[in-house]
Amino acid sequence: MGEAILSIKDLGKSFGNHEVLRKIDIEVDKGEVICIVGSSGSGKSTLLRCINRLEKQTRGKIYFHNKEVKDIQKDINDYRSKVGMVFQSFNLFNNMTVLENCMLCTRKVLHISKEEAFDRAITHLKEVGMAPYINAKPSMLSGGQKQRVAIARALCMNPEVLLFDEPTSALDPEMVGEVLSVMKELATTGLTMIIVTHEMAFARDVSTRTIFMDNGYVAEDAAPEELFGNPKNARTREFLSRYLAG
Amino acid sequence: MVMSLFASQEPTNSIEWTVFLARKYSDMFLQGTYLTLYTAVIGTLVGFLLGYLIGMVQDLSINPEDNIIKKTLTRAIKWICSIYVEIFRDTPMIVQAMIIYYGLRQANVEMTPVFAGILVTVLNTGAYMAETVRAGIGSIDIGQREGAFAMGMSPVKTMLYVVLPQAFKNIIPEMANTFLTNLKMTSVLNVIAVQELFMAAKTAGGNYYKYFESYLVIAIIYFVLCFVFNKLFGLLEAKMQGDEDYALAVEYMDNQ
Repeated sequence: MGEAILSIKDLGKSFGNHEVLRKIDIEVDKGEVICIVGSSGSGKSTLLRCINRLEKQTRGKIYFHNKEVKDIQKDINDYRSKVGMVFQSFNLFNNMTVLENCMLCTRKVLHISKEEAFDRAITHLKEVGMAPYINAKPSMLSGGQKQRVAIARALCMNPEVLLFDEPTSALDPEMVGEVLSVMKELATTGLTMIIVTHEMAFARDVSTRTIFMDNGYVAEDAAPEELFGNPKNARTREFLSRYLAG
Repeated sequence: MVMSLFASQEPTNSIEWTVFLARKYSDMFLQGTYLTLYTAVIGTLVGFLLGYLIGMVQDLSINPEDNIIKKTLTRAIKWICSIYVEIFRDTPMIVQAMIIYYGLRQANVEMTPVFAGILVTVLNTGAYMAETVRAGIGSIDIGQREGAFAMGMSPVKTMLYVVLPQAFKNIIPEMANTFLTNLKMTSVLNVIAVQELFMAAKTAGGNYYKYFESYLVIAIIYFVLCFVFNKLFGLLEAKMQGDEDYALAVEYMDNQ
């Protein structure tokens, strides 16, 4: 195994009396592409939001390069600039064009020059096939186009880890394909990715490791061939049989 | 008839009296219009700044992890802001004007009536705008902030670059409303002797005991001012909506 880039230790999260994450221990190595699957309400998205600190965990710790991510705003900002996130609802800035969306955070967080920010934006927009749309506002784009811009925007930060929170769940079937193919391409570049998804075929083909979550626990954590071909856990089998039957 | 409108002898009916007063006291009405606009524009603009500031303060969240000094300070500022907003929203502007002007004079703070008038307008506008801004900020989808936070933007930068510009666009109609209200509400400032339009009409009407005609003159002036500004704000709003169209950057079309 390589060097652990992200370690999640004994993570727990409750909303009031409702315990969403019970005890999560995950080590993420550099270059891994991890897909997290599981039924709705199993805590997948909450886990991802806790990793990016959009939710504060009620128990446990997160380590980035063996250093604890503390509760200091400056440290959190610094950490987030290296751990990007792509959302289900895209969250592109509605008041800015595609190009401005891709340049804002590199300029204001990383403080790189305008020229460099522009070059980065164009490079990554080309990767996702959205460079011709630099002058468009988000409201003029389709869902699939918005999500590709959101991916480019996240890549502009040169993140060490990129989190995807159900990136295709808000898209119609035709657009799912264009986003997944961009992500497939990314997975081959060596970028560390953690993807919460309901696309089982994608998880099986692209991930280097698949995690099945159930009821706030990691029920099974295995190589995709293993998890999809020969699941050990009874709940995993039940969940997958429903998908494969459908 | 037309000739008699412009005759210099004693007017005989209301229309003639209106024209007569408007001509005779044109300097005073112009001066009143100027002061009304001056007070309303400066008062509204500074009031907006105050409103934005307080609206943003009221939107601050208290992080339980912060140290005790920061938490106490934030709470105290939020508390003061909400008291200010409450007081100014729950009392009439005319009473605020009297209390501020005569209260400060009693405390030996000398100020001109115009300055006091602007101060009252600023404080009044600030209180209403704070609520409008707070609502405007609240109307922006939380995902907009999360998108910025997730890339390491600080809460302050997120507010300045992402949330406020969108909130601003949403509350333009309310800002226009506030300005028009202020333009008309400056009329109450005559109680602290600001020589605005209402005061001009009172003086002109009093000289001939022709109040109906005199107030008719300023009603027309108020109407024209508000009408013109209304149209201007409509244009501004349309401009802020932005283009519905965009040009494809063809130079990037081929090399994908």
